[in-house]
Formats: sequence, C-alpha cells, structure tokens
Amino acid sequence: YSGLFLTPRQLHFSISPWLFRDLNLSECVFPYPEIGNEELEEINQLVAPVEKFFAEDVDSKLIDHEATIPSETLKGLKELGLFGIQIPEEYGGLGLSNTMYARLGEIFCLDGSIAVTLAAHQAIGLKGILMLGTEEQKTKYLPRLATGEHIAAFCLTEPGSGSDAASIQTRATLTEDGKHYLLNGSKFWISNGGLAEIMTVFARTEVVDKDGQKKDKITAFIVERAFGGVTSGKPEDKLGIRGSNTCEVTFEDTKVPVENVIGEVGGGFKVAMNILNSGRFSMGSASAGIIKTLIGLAAEYAGTRKQFNRRLSEFGMIQDKFALMAQNAFVMESMAYLTAGMMDRPGLPDCSVEAAMVKVFSSEGLWICVSEALQVLGGLGYTKNFPYERYLRDSRILLIFEGTNEILRMYIALTGMQYAGRILTGKIKEMKKGNVGVVFELLGKKLRDSVVKTVDLGLTGNNGVVHPSLTESAKKFEENVVFFGSTVENLLYRYGKTIVDEQLVLKRVADVLINLYAMTAVLSRASRSISIGLRNHDHEVLLANNFCSEAYFKNNYLMTQLQKNSPENNDANIKKIAMDILEKRAYICSHPLDRTF
Amino acid sequence: MNSARRLLQTQYFRCLAAAPNYRASVQHVVFAHPPRRTSLSQLQWPRSFHGSPGCSQNRPVTTAVGQGGEKKEKSLVTYDELFEQVARDAKSKATFNRVVDIFSKRDVRRRGHVEFIYAALKKMPEFGVERDIAVYNKLLDVFPKEVLVARNFIQRMFNHYPRQQECGVQVLEQMENYGIMPNVETKVLLVQIFGDKSHPVRKYQRLMYWFPKFKHANPFPVPRDLPQDPVDLARLSLGRIANDLDSTTTVYQMPSTDLSETGEEISLPHIVGTQSPDQRSLLAKHNPSRPVFVEGPLPLWLRGTCVYYYVLRADPPPPEEKVEEPCDPELFGPGQSIFYPLVVDLALDRDLGDDYSFDVDDVEEGVVYAMCMTGQGDQATLGRWISGLQETNPILGQIPTLFRLESGPRELQGASETPRGPDIEAEPRTMEHEPFPEEEHQHSQGMKQ
Repeated sequence: YSGLFLTPRQLHFSISPWLFRDLNLSECVFPYPEIGNEELEEINQLVAPVEKFFAEDVDSKLIDHEATIPSETLKGLKELGLFGIQIPEEYGGLGLSNTMYARLGEIFCLDGSIAVTLAAHQAIGLKGILMLGTEEQKTKYLPRLATGEHIAAFCLTEPGSGSDAASIQTRATLTEDGKHYLLNGSKFWISNGGLAEIMTVFARTEVVDKDGQKKDKITAFIVERAFGGVTSGKPEDKLGIRGSNTCEVTFEDTKVPVENVIGEVGGGFKVAMNILNSGRFSMGSASAGIIKTLIGLAAEYAGTRKQFNRRLSEFGMIQDKFALMAQNAFVMESMAYLTAGMMDRPGLPDCSVEAAMVKVFSSEGLWICVSEALQVLGGLGYTKNFPYERYLRDSRILLIFEGTNEILRMYIALTGMQYAGRILTGKIKEMKKGNVGVVFELLGKKLRDSVVKTVDLGLTGNNGVVHPSLTESAKKFEENVVFFGSTVENLLYRYGKTIVDEQLVLKRVADVLINLYAMTAVLSRASRSISIGLRNHDHEVLLANNFCSEAYFKNNYLMTQLQKNSPENNDANIKKIAMDILEKRAYICSHPLDRTF
Repeated sequence: MNSARRLLQTQYFRCLAAAPNYRASVQHVVFAHPPRRTSLSQLQWPRSFHGSPGCSQNRPVTTAVGQGGEKKEKSLVTYDELFEQVARDAKSKATFNRVVDIFSKRDVRRRGHVEFIYAALKKMPEFGVERDIAVYNKLLDVFPKEVLVARNFIQRMFNHYPRQQECGVQVLEQMENYGIMPNVETKVLLVQIFGDKSHPVRKYQRLMYWFPKFKHANPFPVPRDLPQDPVDLARLSLGRIANDLDSTTTVYQMPSTDLSETGEEISLPHIVGTQSPDQRSLLAKHNPSRPVFVEGPLPLWLRGTCVYYYVLRADPPPPEEKVEEPCDPELFGPGQSIFYPLVVDLALDRDLGDDYSFDVDDVEEGVVYAMCMTGQGDQATLGRWISGLQETNPILGQIPTLFRLESGPRELQGASETPRGPDIEAEPRTMEHEPFPEEEHQHSQGMKQ
C-alpha cells in the first residue's frame, strides 16, 4: 500500500520513482548497499595516495589565484589514474564502479577547479563514448583519454540555449560523398573547452523520419580537435572554480567522419539525457567530503578561540552550526552511496531521478554549510587567509551546472507525477469500463485515508528492515508516505496534464520527494550501522532520528501547502508580486522617503 | 518653512485667545508679523469694527440680496477692467500679481475683496496662472486676516461671514478643478483668515485627504505638456498603446519639404511605427496566402488632444489552421527539453474547480502586427510604412497587403475643435475587398512598386 497503487503486504511504494516504480523496497534500499572486502581494500589503497597528493602537492590557493591548474599538478593527477576512473581496465582505466568513483570524488572535490576539470572530462565528456560508443570508438579514444593524454569535454550549451537544448543552432551537414559531416556553430561555457582534444558535440542534423519527411534532430558526435576548424575562445573569468577552464568553442567546417556519431543519427537527445543523468550522483559524496573537511577546520577554531572567557564551542549558536553541518554531511553521504550502490547493482532501471535528488539536496546543503562554517570564524572566514571563502565561491556552481536545481526539481517532480498519473488513469479507465471492484477499491482507500493516517510498510515490527532504535523515524516516514500518496492523487485530479505548468506545486512535490528519499537513505544506512556495529553508530542514530523528525515537519508543512485552499499557501500572492514587478522590469515600490504633498 | 512657523504661531494665538488677557496676546501675534500689519492701530481698528458684528456683518449681505445681482455684476465689471488696464500689453503672472498688489494697496479695508477675488479667479486662465499655487495663495492673501474668524461657539455654529467663506471655498474649488494641491502656506492663510473649523479650512482638509490618494491613481499618466514635434508626439502615443518594453519605435520618414523639379513643393509627412519582437515573429509565421490589412485611422486621446494611428493586422486564423504540432518525446523538436518533460502524457484534464482560464475579456481577434502614426493617412504614405517594415519583416513581400482606410481627420486635432469621428462617413476609397479575393493580390503588388 501507499497512496494510490500498492497493496499493503508488498512493500511497494508510491513515492520517488524507485518508489513510483513497482520495486521492492526491501530489495532496493534495504539493506544499505555494501561493497565486498576486496573492493574495500582496493579503494583504500587507491584513496591513500590520492589523499596524500591533495594534501601535499595541490596548492588550491594558487590555482584559484592564477586561475589555472599547474601542469605538474595535472601530471600528478594523470599518474594517479584519476582521468580514467570509470574507464574499464582493458582500455587502460581504473575500471572502478560508481561507488568507488563517489569515494574518490570525496577527495578530489577538495579543490573545486580540479574536481570540475575531472568531472567535465569523465562524468560527462567521455561518458558518451563509454556508455553508448561502438567498440571501434572505444578502442580508438578511451585509452588515451584514460591516461589523461587527451582531455574530453561536453559541448551542449549554446548562446541561445542553456537548459532549453531544443534551440541548438550548431548544424552538421552530410558531405556529398556521405562519409563526413561538416560541423558549424559555436558552443558556450564549455568546461575544459580550451584543453580538450576530444569533444562530445551535439548538433542539428537533417533526418528523414518514417513519414518520409525531412526533420531536424540532434545527433551526438565525437569531435577531435585535430579534425580542424576548432577554435576555443578566451577562458571565462568566473566567481569560483577559477582554475577550471571554461570557454567558448567554435566549429567551422569541422570535418567529422560518419563513424564518429555516438548512438544513432538523430538520437542525440537520448544520448545527452543519459550522459547528464548519469553524471550527477557523485555530487553528493563530493559535497559531503567538503563539509567533513570544513567541520574539522572550523571545529579546531571553535575549540581554541575564546570569547567572554568561554570557548566558542560552548556557545549554543555555534553548536547549532556544527550539528547542521554534521547532519547535512551525513544525509548527503547516505544518499550518494545509496544511489551509487543502486546504480552499480546489475539489472536495475536507471537511477537518474535519484541522482537528480542527490544533486539538488547536496548542492543546496553544501552552500548553506560552507556559509555556516565561514560564519563560525566570523571576519577571519571572510578573508583569503582561510579557505572558506574559496569553498563558498566554488560551491556556488553546484546549484547551477549539470542542470540548474530548478530544472532538476521539475524533472524529479514530473517523472514521479507521470508515473503516478499513468496508474491513476489506468484505474479510471477500468472504472469507465464498469469494473465495480476498482470503484470500491478507490472509495475504500479514500475512506481509509481519511481515518487511518499511518500505514505499515513493513519497515518496523517483527520482520521490519529498520532497526528498532529508529522505529519512531520509520513511523514518521511511513506517515509522510501515506500523506504524500493522497496529496499526489489529489494534485493529479486537480491539475491533470496541466500539472506541467504548475511550477510552484511541482517545486513542493520535488522537495517532499527529496526529503523522503533522504529519509529512506538515512534510515537504511543507520540501520545497517547499528546492526553490524560500526564505530560511533549511536551518533548516526542520533543524526538519523534528528533528520527524520525535521524532514517530517517540513514535509507535513509542504504537503499542507499543497492542499486546496490552504491558508499556508501564498502562491497566488507570490505570482502577483512577481508579475507586478516583471511587467515593469523594476522594483516598483515608492521610496519610503517619498511624499505626495 | 516660514509659513509653518506662522501656522504654529496662529495656533498659539488660538490658545491664548481663549485666555482672558486676549488683547495682549493679539499684540504679541501682531509683532510677529511686521510685514503684514505695519502698526498696531491698523489691526485694532477692524477689531473694534467687529465689536458689533450684528450690523456690520449683515450689511454687505443684505445689500447684495436687496439690490440683486446687478451691483455684483457691476463690481465684477470694474475689477475686470482693472485687470484689462494693467495687463494691456502682456498677460502674465507678473501683471496678474501686480493687479492683486494694486488692489491690496488701494484700500486698507480691502473693500470689495470678495468681488475682486471672484473676478480674479475668472481671469486666471487668461493670464495662464490657473495652475500656480503661489498665485492662489496671493489671492487668498487678499482676504483681511483674523477679522473673519469666528470667536465663539455661537458664531462658529452659524455661518459666520458666509459670502467670504463661500468665496474662500470657491478659490479652493478652482484649485481642485485644476488639480492644484494646496500647500502649508495655503493652510496658514486659511486658518488666519477664517479660523480652523471654518468651511474653507474643512474644504482644505478634504482636499488634502483625497488629493494625495488620487495623485498616483493613474498608472499611465499622460504628461501635462505634450511634445510639440509630431514625431515625438507619435513616439509617445505609440509607446502608450504598445505598452511592451521590448517594442522598438522606428521613424520611417522624417517630416520634410522638398522642391520638385517642376518647382512644386512636396511635403513628406512623418511616419513613425512600432513593432515588438513578438509581433515580428508572429508576422513571420503568418500564412502568406492570407492578406494583412492596414486599417485606420483609429483615434487616441491624450488629454485634450486626439491623435490617429494605423494598424497592420490580420484576421483571426480559421480553426483548421490552428493545428498544434504534436509533441513526440522521442523526437527532438521545439518544446522539448533535454532535462525534463515539457509535456506530460496523461489522459487527465484540469479539474473544473481549478480551471480559471475562462475570461470574458478573452475574445478571439486577429493579430496586430505593427502600428504607425503618420502626418498624412493616404495610401501612398502608408505604403511607404509597409515597405519600411519589409526591411525587418521580409515575409511582407509575399503577403498581399490590403488598405482598409476610412476617411477622417488625419492631423492633430485640438480639443476645442469639434471632434470628427473617423468613421462618420465611408469614403469611396474604402475598398470592398471581400468579394474579390483575386484582386487583392494584384492590388497589393501594385501598391508596393
């Protein structure tokens, strides 16, 4: 049971897509994914030298100041194999799983510029070849990409098309002999644009569809700089991640062989979606890595600095900041490794929605946490003598790139809504056919919802998958799930397919989904920690319980706002305020000092 | 600032007036205003004059009633003449002020000030001072101070000096009609002349309550002085109609006069047009087999001025042409985003209770693609506008353009002139286009050459 679709005994779920999908909860998230002992040993062996390298050989302050990564540092990164983490060993990479990639991400995120350079290279730049490339393409390109001899870039954004990739203007035209495409156009804000030898480029191509009509569709190409006609502009001067190279790339009659098409001709839309969706999960562990480092630094300061004859660490308001940081790091970690673990599991559907949830949660959490860590130091944190301001600037980009958080919220909410909507319309169709059983089922469920506010998802109790010390939290989670199920159902009845235009509604749906996913992640992780007796598992339980009760209240508030005519909902006012201002394109209030007479 | 201080002093005076040593306080106040009253005796004289309000107050009223409007008329005429005499050469603020000064200095008793003020109010528009707060204040200053103030509750209860109060109200009324906001000096004067809680002060308070409230009631205020240059005026008017921050106003032709070879004078009227990027893209999507129309002149009022404009518009597209492109999530096409589905495939529609899309103002209408204003609304001039538009809208070359012009005033028309509606009579030039769809095309082609 839950919400619309599930039968009580089956632990089926109605929330988040893995939830929305008919997946078995106990298989999917419980128990928390683990890696084998050999793998753990392997990753620990890898982690140690990388950590050492970042501690000793990377001068982040210098990178930030000079706005470039020194070639020795890049060389060091290449030697550590960090340019081919996920490339299979047969192509010269490390061949690591998503989970291990996330673990390494925790370390290389300590320098934002390096993290972005590496991510642009392998999380999106070469992912196309890795995921969808042919054997020839892989053997041709991957070995040199894995060693870092060639750096990759992902060229999608254009001056006229940021998130709206439909307005791509770059065009690829087939030459008369049919062996090459001529690529023309320019791409903006390309990470690694100045360094990259190999680029995944998206361009319009003319395709004859099944009706025999010619249509423009996008196609993904592997473009080498050596093909000629590729020029990159001056690197952009940015707020953060200053050492990473971001610039415009222009293609002028670049001759791309036909065999360099990734996937099918005209199938670029799916390629882009797959690449982007798979690249986001690592942001959770990266954010957690930064927060963990900052907690250490700030705690050192708070423990030594004295004010009014007391240490900073004795003040409630400072303690509050540390609790917030720890909780956020804990939740991010839990979500990131749960998602990575699910992605590594064979045969499971793609986890793009989960990855998007991880990205939204961790980017926003990181922004707040870095800001709070800086606040602990006060004025000192604001200076360039400490790394906080750099982390603050660097972390700002996470809210923007790889799909802005607004867009990802739409994605999260709509994907769920679509799934729930299909089930609901299926039931309505059954009803229209005269299936009395469905009518009674729906009516009975309505009745049950109005009376019983909780439901047993099988998380707790005798055969429960959640540890008894988390029972309260699990119950809260279950309650939220039920409430969410009926909320979604009501929203679908109210808005139908026009839900797409209700962005304020969708934002809340996405927020609830993210919270619910986070709750599952922490419940699962903390249960495992207690059960196998990890060090400080009591602390984890504390964090998990604290987070769950916070998220429970937030969810209840959000879902109350989603009810019709709820006084908590100010959407009409918000829209009106915004429209008043946007019509004039200015702040329209009179100055408080103005007079009429 | 000075007047505010005076107001305080007047209030102070009011307090003291209630006290027994009344006269001493009066003296005190008088010394505070050396320029207004030069000596104590001058002030005290009218005071003692008012010692018996019964006779002195009623006399002017009874005479006015008894002798009818004749005398009043007469006195008005004399003051009219005073204005005419002084302002023989020029009617300006300076001469108006001089007249007021002359009247004030002529007689210390200000005899006939009510008539004078009425006459002055009438003359104000002639002198062009009807919107000048300083002049109104000067006019109020003509009233004798303090003598008209009610001094006990009985006087206050009855209409104390009704003619004077009425006159004071009339001054404020005229200010109101011209939209002039009284200032602190006005208040000081009114309190000094009539005392608080008198009718003019009440009127003042009402003005001060409503005027500020209404000051910004109009979100699209028209400037008081319209630009004289027709091009600037056209820019302003078009900007008002096309309230779109993106729209660009283009001057297609500046007004000029040329001498042709034969020596004839050819005057080129101005052509100013406006078009927004949205209109441009809509025009680009226009079905070239359907004509667009140039229609006009349509009136637009700016305060007292009426200007005329022309629109380029199309008929609403027939329902069979309004086919929305079906969205295929697999296809790459407009309306799809790589990041999230822009269309959700659901068989559920919006619930009736949440459907606020119905709007009585939502009327299906043809699209207006551009607007223009010109000094001369004939086909040749408007044709030049269309060819100017063609530079930014190449599709206009393929679309037949049809002129549906009605006769009507084509020039600026002041409010004083009788407004002639543009649609009073249909000129023969108005084309009957409906029955001859083939001819439209030829015609428009002829037009553009």
